[in-house]
Amino acid sequence: MKRKLLTMMMAFVLVLTFSVAGCSSSKDTNDTSTNAPDTTQDTDKDATSNDDSSKDTTQDNASEDKKSVVTVACGAVGIELDLTKKAVELFNQDNPNIEVRVLETPDLAQDRLGLYLQFLEAQSSDVDVYQIDVIWPGDLAEHFVDLYQYGAKEVAGDHFAPIIENNTVDGKLIGMPWFTDAGLLYYRKDLLEKYNLEIPTTWDELETCAKTIQDGERADNPDFWGYVWQGNAYEGLTCDAVEWIVSNGGGSIVSPEKVITVNNDKAAEIIEKAASWVGTISPDGVTGFGEEDARNMWQTGNAAFMRNWPYAYVLGNSDDSAIKGLFDVVPLPKGDAGRGAAALGGWQLAVSKYSNDPEAAAKVALFLASYDIQKLRAIEGSFNPTIKSLYQDEEVLEASPFFGSLYDVFTNAAPRPSTATAPRYNEVSTYFYQAVHSVLTGESNAKDALLELEIELQDLLGFEVGAPE
Amino acid sequence: MTKLKKIGFYLMIALISFYLLFPFYWALNSSLKSEAQLQMTPTTLVPIDPQNGSFSPTFMNYASVIKDKQFLNGIANSTIVAVTTTTMALIAGSFAAFAMGKLRFKGRKQMLYVILAMTMFPQVTILSGLYAIITTLKLNAWFSMILTYMIFTLPFTVWVLTSFFKELPVEIMESANVDGCTPFQTFRLILLPLTAPALVTTGLLAFIAAWNEYLFALTFTAIEKNARTIPVAISFFTGIISRQEPFGEIMAATILVTVPIVVLVLVFQRKIIAGLTAGSVKG
Amino acid sequence: MMKGSQKSELAKREQRLAYKMLLPTLVILVVVALYPLVNVFVTSFTDKTFASSKKAEFVGFDNYKELLSVKIMKLPKVENEDGDMVYENPLRILPRKPMRYKEAFQFNFFGNRYVFGATNPDFLSSIGNTLNFTIWSVLLETILGLVVAMIVNIKFRGQGTMRTIMLVPWAVITVVSARIWEFMLMPTRVGLFNMIGDWLGISNGSVSFLTNRALQLPTIILVDVWKTTPYMALLLLAGLQIIPGSLYEAAKIDGANKFKQFIYVTLPLLKPALVVALIFRTLDALRVFDLFQILLNNQRYSMATYNYFQLIQAKRMGMSSAIGVLIFILIFVFALIYMKGLGVDSDD
Repeated sequence: MKRKLLTMMMAFVLVLTFSVAGCSSSKDTNDTSTNAPDTTQDTDKDATSNDDSSKDTTQDNASEDKKSVVTVACGAVGIELDLTKKAVELFNQDNPNIEVRVLETPDLAQDRLGLYLQFLEAQSSDVDVYQIDVIWPGDLAEHFVDLYQYGAKEVAGDHFAPIIENNTVDGKLIGMPWFTDAGLLYYRKDLLEKYNLEIPTTWDELETCAKTIQDGERADNPDFWGYVWQGNAYEGLTCDAVEWIVSNGGGSIVSPEKVITVNNDKAAEIIEKAASWVGTISPDGVTGFGEEDARNMWQTGNAAFMRNWPYAYVLGNSDDSAIKGLFDVVPLPKGDAGRGAAALGGWQLAVSKYSNDPEAAAKVALFLASYDIQKLRAIEGSFNPTIKSLYQDEEVLEASPFFGSLYDVFTNAAPRPSTATAPRYNEVSTYFYQAVHSVLTGESNAKDALLELEIELQDLLGFEVGAPE
Repeated sequence: MTKLKKIGFYLMIALISFYLLFPFYWALNSSLKSEAQLQMTPTTLVPIDPQNGSFSPTFMNYASVIKDKQFLNGIANSTIVAVTTTTMALIAGSFAAFAMGKLRFKGRKQMLYVILAMTMFPQVTILSGLYAIITTLKLNAWFSMILTYMIFTLPFTVWVLTSFFKELPVEIMESANVDGCTPFQTFRLILLPLTAPALVTTGLLAFIAAWNEYLFALTFTAIEKNARTIPVAISFFTGIISRQEPFGEIMAATILVTVPIVVLVLVFQRKIIAGLTAGSVKG
Repeated sequence: MMKGSQKSELAKREQRLAYKMLLPTLVILVVVALYPLVNVFVTSFTDKTFASSKKAEFVGFDNYKELLSVKIMKLPKVENEDGDMVYENPLRILPRKPMRYKEAFQFNFFGNRYVFGATNPDFLSSIGNTLNFTIWSVLLETILGLVVAMIVNIKFRGQGTMRTIMLVPWAVITVVSARIWEFMLMPTRVGLFNMIGDWLGISNGSVSFLTNRALQLPTIILVDVWKTTPYMALLLLAGLQIIPGSLYEAAKIDGANKFKQFIYVTLPLLKPALVVALIFRTLDALRVFDLFQILLNNQRYSMATYNYFQLIQAKRMGMSSAIGVLIFILIFVFALIYMKGLGVDSDD
């Protein structure tokens, strides 16, 4: 009897769950997308695409009753989506003829790329504007329009030069910079003070500081480590390693002039140095760490220093963080090059060639990347703007005080060689991080690994070998 | 059974249950922890307060999962897709398996391999081919998923059921024949009920395979976000900021998704087994 | 004469019915599977780039050659800078044109040193990883699955509950279950296993299961065994259930003990179910993707993750199709071995 009751209750709960789901999905039509019912998307999308031949000729007189539909594929993370929707609303106040739809895509860059490639392979017109990673413009250039043809000329100069350069392929602007990212050194103010240490500016100093603090803290915290970073075999390691090598004067794998520079003593030296951190100032498991692993360890107060992107700043100061208010960021340490380097990250907006209305799509992309919208995103979501003048904007600085100190980091950010090696950057990067990873885990030494890598890249790219300038 | 044997037997059951359940327990445990609690060193067997060490679970993760429309939507989508897929696979599969297992025809053996060949490529290899079909046929996301899930559910059902049909004694067919049943009637009225345990098993396995599928679903629902199934919906869980991963929420969602299935199985189990014993007595 | 034609008429009717009943399956097969399958085969002979307007050229077996060419060469001794006699660096020995052979490993044979070169050592090692993974995980899953199935086939209090519990690992969404394990395997005491290891004093609490090369495969195999034992168990259980109890009774009367009953009654009757379960488990294991992708990233490839790398990262669709075809062939070989080896193929 009792059992029967339980079963019935469970069944009831199930039914309830589904009916609630049913309700919410029907409600969805009204509010997920800012101004279009989503469920009907496919059908009326087709309607627009079917008559696009007639659209060009009749655009002017038909514009009152015909709407252009622009779908933006972008990040879906919490506040990110809300901000994009807000921006879209603002856009529609001035452009009632263009209907903008927001399409959430996976947060994991690799999944996102896989998805984009399927769309692009099918030359799908379903997505008009793509949010693309800073390393993709070269590889995907053939699928996107030249934004210089659509009015980006006037605004391109407002953005950070390295990003514009990165996004320019054969003289064409493939993506409009939307927000940027760069590697930073996070340090514990309280611990530096406790052990009477200065903020480290070189890798050697970092090593010493990390060791000192680690030795001291271990007394009551056996899980404490000096320095955490991204050592797993993935794109994040490419970023970290490019930072090491550039800061040591070892070039950035392949120079913009298409010369393979990676096999040099400076590079080997700094990679060996990093390998020596594993198990001494960094946990053995760091060779399996991604951004989140490093941040989790750091945020529970188990690390003195961390290399990470700016996102960890906001989270580190959240309420349940053990280190709230106890840390700050500085540029990454320098090696023999005399100055530190930060890998350039961030996302761009690109307009698909297969769009039914690239004109309208470009308009949307430029609007989303404009001063006002980037300001909104900087203030409400801590997204790092790509427009230089926003780093002097008082309202922005008030919302995120650490932005001011980032300006130099961004202007000097080191791009990965994605444009020079396009369309094979992903392979270059994979071979590179696998080579570095093999040194970190002690399977290989830096000299051999880099020699092997050099030959690999020669085969892959057919470029000359040379010394970094 | 002697008492000692009985104790040993239940000990073994307990051991196996522990082995099967502890990762699931760990998911449950993690779902009740905040981000700070998740990262505590050493990790704790139950959620405790980092300061004073008292038991303190948080239901935050569950609250935010349930609030997420995409999650509930995902359950509905997954249910529809998985149920339809399973039903179709079972119907088509049992037909084919009957032919394969009990009827004589030319090319039988080859047919078995041809059907298996359907499912021998890695998913990612055939994805773009499938995507091309779907864009050509202009299928919506639900149909795309149901149809493409046939690739891995149908060969499976055909093969498993074929092996069961083969096992059934030939005399049943013959006696039915004598009774004036057409072969199809024999199949529908006599053989099908007899293979019910196999039907339930394959159905269950096919259902879960379809329920859990990720790569196809991610691709085919890319444009239609309201058709996203539960694995895709979970992969769309994000923190408040890009790169942050809401591990606790993912775990909470996993618990919420797995429990109904388990309950479903439990209910099914009773019904089916009861039905089966009744059926076989009659048969 | 009359009888014979009647019989053949009956046989024809049976054959027609068979085709009719196969029709739904065949229609589905043609609609969804035919084009992608043929497409993969054809593409594997081209140099097609994924998501690119670059025209694909027919390249014959080049992709396969690039994946599978190997060369074994003797390493001569040479003098190094310090005047010591050492083996020559394989880089200098292995040919670079028209295809470069890379060192896969070195070995000694009759006092000489040899290098095993391959044009694609990554792919070869992915085959090794996959086979290793497949053989161990399928073997363990079969044994464990059989044990579990036999236990839940016994009538006892809580049998129904046990049958449900048995299903839990399989019911957890695959992508997520890899994440649960990743979390439990964390290389610090945040991870359950390191916490336990440290607590028992058998490790320092920072074992990196997923980056230590010696631990990677065993770890992944254990995760897979946990996840898919239920699948095996359930299929075998269904097989056990249709074994008539009368057969055991008969065996008992003949004086067979439990072990003999298992060998002479259970196993032979379970064989068809076992073969099917083995084929499908092996098929899944040879295509293993999620576990390698999530837990090992690009540190170590399975054939399917290497395939993914070639398609998504390198965008070499021709190459990735060739890998797909090789996986296809490998699965076919396994299926044939099972069928022939266990003698299920015979037409009875």
